[in-house]
Amino acid sequence: MDTDYAIIGGGVVGLSVAWGLLKRGLTVTVLDGDDGAFRASRGNFGLVWVQSKGMTQPRYARWSQQSAAIWAEFAAELGANTGQAVPLEQKGGYDLHFSEETLQATVERYEGLKAKLGGDYPFEVLGHNALRKEEPHIGPKVVGAILHHQDGHANPLKLLRALAADVRRMGGRVLTGKTVTGVSKPDGFRIACADGSVTGAGKVILSAGLGAAQLGPAMGFKAPVRPQRGQVLITEKLPKLINRPSLIARQVDEGGIQIGATNEEVGPDDRVTQPGLSGLAAEAIAAYPALARAQLVRSWGALRVLSPDGLPIYQESAEMPGAYLVTCHSGITLAAAHARLLPDWLERSAAAPDLEVFGEARFAVS
Amino acid sequence: MTRRDLAIIGAGPAGMAAAAQAAALGLAVTLVDEQPRPGGQIYRDVDRAVALRGAILGADYGRGARLTAGLRRDGIDHVAGAVVWAIEEGFSILYTREGRGARIAADRVLLATGALERPMPLPGWTLPGVMTAGAGQILLKQSGVLARRAVLVGSGPLLYLIAAQMVRAGTPPLALVETQSRGDLARAMGHAGGALRGWRYLAKGLGLLAEIARARVPRHTGATGIAIEGEGRAEAVRFTSRGRAHRIACDTVFLHHGVVPNMQAARSLGVAHRWHQAQACFVPQLDGWGRTEMPGLFIAGDGAGIGGAAAAEIAGRLAALKLAEEAGRLSPEACDRQARPLRAAQARELAARAFLDRAYPPFAEALAPADATVVCRCEEVTAGEIRGHARLGCLGPNQAKAFGRAGMGPCQGRYCGLTVTALLAEANARTPDETGYYRIRPPLKPVTLGELAAMEDAAEAAQ
Repeated sequence: MDTDYAIIGGGVVGLSVAWGLLKRGLTVTVLDGDDGAFRASRGNFGLVWVQSKGMTQPRYARWSQQSAAIWAEFAAELGANTGQAVPLEQKGGYDLHFSEETLQATVERYEGLKAKLGGDYPFEVLGHNALRKEEPHIGPKVVGAILHHQDGHANPLKLLRALAADVRRMGGRVLTGKTVTGVSKPDGFRIACADGSVTGAGKVILSAGLGAAQLGPAMGFKAPVRPQRGQVLITEKLPKLINRPSLIARQVDEGGIQIGATNEEVGPDDRVTQPGLSGLAAEAIAAYPALARAQLVRSWGALRVLSPDGLPIYQESAEMPGAYLVTCHSGITLAAAHARLLPDWLERSAAAPDLEVFGEARFAVS
Repeated sequence: MTRRDLAIIGAGPAGMAAAAQAAALGLAVTLVDEQPRPGGQIYRDVDRAVALRGAILGADYGRGARLTAGLRRDGIDHVAGAVVWAIEEGFSILYTREGRGARIAADRVLLATGALERPMPLPGWTLPGVMTAGAGQILLKQSGVLARRAVLVGSGPLLYLIAAQMVRAGTPPLALVETQSRGDLARAMGHAGGALRGWRYLAKGLGLLAEIARARVPRHTGATGIAIEGEGRAEAVRFTSRGRAHRIACDTVFLHHGVVPNMQAARSLGVAHRWHQAQACFVPQLDGWGRTEMPGLFIAGDGAGIGGAAAAEIAGRLAALKLAEEAGRLSPEACDRQARPLRAAQARELAARAFLDRAYPPFAEALAPADATVVCRCEEVTAGEIRGHARLGCLGPNQAKAFGRAGMGPCQGRYCGLTVTALLAEANARTPDETGYYRIRPPLKPVTLGELAAMEDAAEAAQ
């Protein structure tokens, strides 16, 4: 046995879990892909976000809240360990609305969820004038916003780098340039790679993002994940223009305004398109008119890793006990939960969170 | 919106020659270029500059005027002052011009985006007062401005050309600090056959050197340990040559150690590139006509691999012939027949290039800079940080970009891309091909959100 856990996928999800397992004294080997792999970890929007999640599954809303609540402590520990801060700001976030109707409908849905969460869903509705006090650059077309106090945003790339550094510091073995071709369990697990190498492990975690769709079925998972493209823009660095983040735009710690994101079902195509970029630019200008003069510096497309209902999947394989599928769309929001709470579930400790609703049974053919 | 038979990006020698050739064969051509007037970098603003400063710029510069004259004909629509920020498959060329976004639809595209000066990251190269030699030359071509108390540092024919132009303008440089050695020249003589066929270049080079010598400009060759010193701006160049340490006080430093293909547009369309060891850069994978694997997409000129202005002109004509054949305006037989004399001329041009590549190699210290040297100017990322990213598992520049922001700035990685690839390749003991290059995405050049959004409004209005 080379390692207690082999983790297939060295993105934020895989590295967060690796970090948590290493902290418990377990040995971990992470198998990571090459430079050109689809990597949601470097294409995401960077929100640590609670609102709008789990509207039909309160457990998901709760899981997101749990992670958001321990994110600051997690980021601080990573920063202290690596000497490189992981910027995080949690002073609330907006859902901006351009019509009273959509605003009202969303508030009603949030009230319903709030009741199911026993009242722990701290949001308030800001009309245009109240919003303008908070966000002086907001445009006249924005009728109002929902301000949710548990929302925030982070620097997801600094999180990725800090995890890569700290996992190594704690003795984690990270093998890069690996393409896993098969996982077998003659006795312990054997993970074979395209370069001919084989890694032996006591347990295996499949956290390969979209790669799980190929590898999962042979390991006994349904792994029904599909790509959904999000195009994202970022402007030149600007003086402070946006106070709190929203799904439309946020000002990152380096100063650029990040603008997102499209939701496109286009398969494994991560290119950007002029209509996509123009639509995002138009929406961002409607929200913050001053952005019209800002220079676009970069754009990119990244592929969300989506399950049919958008919720994470945490599942142990029935065919290969000891193999786990860990995948989600919100790897940044859930990073703290994956690092600090998920290892208890993997190790079946008394403190294990109840993740039953995130199992694959929910995808049973009806 | 009318579709054009051919859109050509770049009005340098390759683009201008291709436009004239393609239009002569009946294609409806749009030539898109960033500059207000045709010429490209080599013949920048040639129509105006020759009249005003022809004696300083030299006879070669006048050849550009013949190419610009070829554009004044039916069938060529020259869209000047257009900044192309994206090219989409199919093809759609998206650009801004006078503050407005616009597009051109074309069945075929020829990229003739030329070369960039190879960045020369040395200690102190980001100080004010330091610029590329090409930037200095642009000042001369456009406005006649020349820096006083300047030192030229690097290698290659362009360095001599600029030195000679400075001499003619009455402001000779304080010194030439040359990085190539006698060994480089000796190795290059192995290609003297090629050099003899390209005698015109050698004769020209010797003529330039004679001019520089007559003006008593000191030349220091085989320079190593080059650093630019200064508090807040360049004040001196320090280096070692022939075992002696030198320090030359100056106000301006011009750096140059060759040019490399501008790959941005080709990379953004996913054109495969391979490492060219002799030129220490990536070149796109093309057939003998400049054709890429993407149907309808061609590349000609220095963007296809450094060959110089004369070779670029020939490559532009060859691409235009094949483009015309693909468009059904030229029979395959006629295409081959017309290409024959061009290919012979191309062979003569490229033979000289092999000699030049070896005689004036890029400066080794700038290809693998010391840890403290900044390599990404936009985001101020040092060579040492890039090496650190390799230790954190970054096999290629895209992961390194995510880890440390190199290549994220307004230059889109133009100035650090090759250096970052080289540093990672060395640190990971992999080849540049295995290491790869930045994934280039729009905007190829900055565009405002307002310009982008206006295209959305236009699309809505059309519906």
